Amino acid sequence: MQSAPVLRSEWLKIRTTRSLLGTLLALFAVTTAFSALAAAPDPSDPDFDPLFTTFSGVLPGQIAAISFGAMAVSSEFHNGALRVSLAAVPQRGRWFAAKVTSIAVPALVVGLLTSLAALLAARAGLGSAADTLTGGEQVRAVAGCAVYLTLTALFAAGLTTLLRSGVATLSLLIPFILVVSFVIGDAAGTVVEFMPDRAGQLVLQQTHEGTLGPWSGLAVTALWTAAALLAGAWSLNRRDA
Amino acid sequence: MTSIDVQDLTKEYGTRRAVDHLTFRVRPGRVTGFLGPNGAGKSTTMRLVLGLDHPTSGSATVGGHAYAGMREPLRQVGALLDAQAAQGSRTGRDHLRVLATSNRIPDRRVDEVLEETGLASVARRRVRTYSLGMRQRLGIAAALLGDPAVVMLDEPSNGLDPEGIVWIRTLLRRLADEGRTVLVSSHLMNETASFADHLVVLGRGRLLADTPMREFIDARVRPTVRVRTQDPAALRSALARHGHDVVEHPDGHWTVTDARVDDIGRLTSAAGVPILELAPDEGTLEQAYLDLTANQTEFTAQPQEA
Repeated sequence: MQSAPVLRSEWLKIRTTRSLLGTLLALFAVTTAFSALAAAPDPSDPDFDPLFTTFSGVLPGQIAAISFGAMAVSSEFHNGALRVSLAAVPQRGRWFAAKVTSIAVPALVVGLLTSLAALLAARAGLGSAADTLTGGEQVRAVAGCAVYLTLTALFAAGLTTLLRSGVATLSLLIPFILVVSFVIGDAAGTVVEFMPDRAGQLVLQQTHEGTLGPWSGLAVTALWTAAALLAGAWSLNRRDA
Repeated sequence: MTSIDVQDLTKEYGTRRAVDHLTFRVRPGRVTGFLGPNGAGKSTTMRLVLGLDHPTSGSATVGGHAYAGMREPLRQVGALLDAQAAQGSRTGRDHLRVLATSNRIPDRRVDEVLEETGLASVARRRVRTYSLGMRQRLGIAAALLGDPAVVMLDEPSNGLDPEGIVWIRTLLRRLADEGRTVLVSSHLMNETASFADHLVVLGRGRLLADTPMREFIDARVRPTVRVRTQDPAALRSALARHGHDVVEHPDGHWTVTDARVDDIGRLTSAAGVPILELAPDEGTLEQAYLDLTANQTEFTAQPQEA
């Protein structure tokens, strides 16, 4: 396969950058730890959703996923590193596809391990409060959580390629996630439901009230990610390196 | 034959024209010095050749092919653009392995170029800890990685110590002698004079000269001859008889302007003038270059109009 060497090269870049491995470790540790902490059961709360409580570590954990996606790309925009990369692989589409894959695969693998660990940690804390969870719901949430974290990392990667800066991406996305999730939150109507983070998080909830279901919500996030990646690819192709 | 061909190349950034209808060819088997003041368009031209920037019009090809279409281009063209481009948190060896992997170049070759550029002992240190000279060597190592027929280096002697400068001179000579196409940009004249066979000179994005270095100098600097004698009166009259202008210097030596050392030697010998010293002064690249670019430099102070 002609793209295999480029993919191996991009994967080697990630493996040889300690800060990137650090963000993946943070993704695992933060998500699992916060899920374990949140699992102090309070079933008297009418809004209690044992599934979302189990995966509540994703809310802080996704910041690590965003950082991973953003930093994996942003290093290319420092000191003309992109020129060295594109001088080695001048077909920009091929290069970007390899870059995106090299972010997606480790994000998905670590995301899967993370969501499994979060489930185990939270169930230990929740005890009988988790008994209402069906096996199907748990499988759906574990798989959905891994996909959601991967899409989040790729969304950040696409945006970083478009903005040519990791700092710009992080200072846009992190406040966005905090503001949308915690300030606007439930107050706003269905528009919020279609935001990239809220839509994807539906896969982690036991009950759904809005227009979107768990998988359609994840599909909305996937559309956001696809748009960000396409915008990034367009910018990369069009602009001087 | 692998040459770099630049055809009517133009690049505009907004309203500024960095490269202006540039046409030249860099041929194999010799070192071509790429000269011009800062901002003349040398680096831009190199980026255009590598397909990194999109030309406004015109084309640049290597061996007849557009760089952007090449598969595994490191095997054909090696380039150093900016020594700072290697990521600081990676080791020098890993930086090269990343590049080698993408072009299916074996890791064995990585170790070879590390050895060749004198970086073997620091190969497993992070690039962040490298001096500018070491980064420059790493950039050159990256350019040599694919054993390419075309080598393009932007200011390679930047930050090198005297030993490194001698090393790069020898390296460039060897690469050209092996039949490779070597293009080296610089704004250091004495440095360029020490390795270049041929010159391509830019000013404000335009081609000012594309000639062999010796011709470039000879065409612009009038040769002079330095003479010292025990008998100034005899020398003056002998030279005057043949219509040569002569300048006397306080330390006792004389310069004959616009003259060849062979002619002056024969002439003084025939006239029986006792000579203590006779030497040609054929002009330096620096003199020739300054003569050419005096009115081209963007940064030259403009004469004030009354």
